[in-house]
Amino acid sequence: MALTRHIVPPPTPGLDMTAQYGWPQCCATRAGDFVFVSGVVAIDPETGDRMLGTVTEEAHRVFKNLKMILEQAGSSLERLVAVHAGIYDRIEYDVLNRVYRQYVPNGPPARTVWSIQIIDGFKVQLDAVAVV
Amino acid sequence: MSIKREIIQPKNDMLNVSRNFKLPHSPGIKAGDFIFLSGMVSVDDKTGERNLGTVAQETHQILSNMKHMLESAGSSMERVVKINVLLYDMLEFENMNAVYRKFFPKDPPARTTCGVQLSFGMKVEIECIALAG
Repeated sequence: MALTRHIVPPPTPGLDMTAQYGWPQCCATRAGDFVFVSGVVAIDPETGDRMLGTVTEEAHRVFKNLKMILEQAGSSLERLVAVHAGIYDRIEYDVLNRVYRQYVPNGPPARTVWSIQIIDGFKVQLDAVAVV
Repeated sequence: MSIKREIIQPKNDMLNVSRNFKLPHSPGIKAGDFIFLSGMVSVDDKTGERNLGTVAQETHQILSNMKHMLESAGSSMERVVKINVLLYDMLEFENMNAVYRKFFPKDPPARTTCGVQLSFGMKVEIECIALAG
């Protein structure tokens, strides 16, 4: 039987990017055992305000938001499978890694880091696939 | 038992970009319950030629072609779980969104958008993961 697609509701009002910014995307979808999370940026989870900062500051906020979204979907940071980490400039690669290690200390997921232009001047964006 | 892996081909041959441009990828792969489509750029569905235009025009052409590709594989736009949009400049984010909304009017899938440099002067590239039909 074909699997059903579930839309994961935003864990907090601030993380509802459609309500906050009109973006045509949900927080995450779940299909079978897999969870697909939209690119997460440093947004205040309560107010939806942009929390632009250093790579370190943004990475902490992004991981906290990602954790909330994964838990809302019935998953967790420990159940991450693959991450695409977008960073605005390669030169800050190790700055990102220092924060990254704190959130996935044991058996971190597969990962690719891309140097990309991120919306609204953010410096970090994480895109994740996890299992429930 | 291991799951089945099948190559997906569009019903419209003009959209078989990997074959027409002799590129080393398949249009898409169906693996068990999931379909993974290659990154799609704007290609004219009547001539098979690259169809460069504005971000709005390219997004429209790509998503029309993506719909055809998914339907060729027995899936649909409503069964897309994840989209990755690659844009040549994030300043055009809203120009892409304006067209994108028309293709996903209700419960749009998870999505990530990145600003990157694309080949051949294309402005938009979109890839997706969907559930098989």
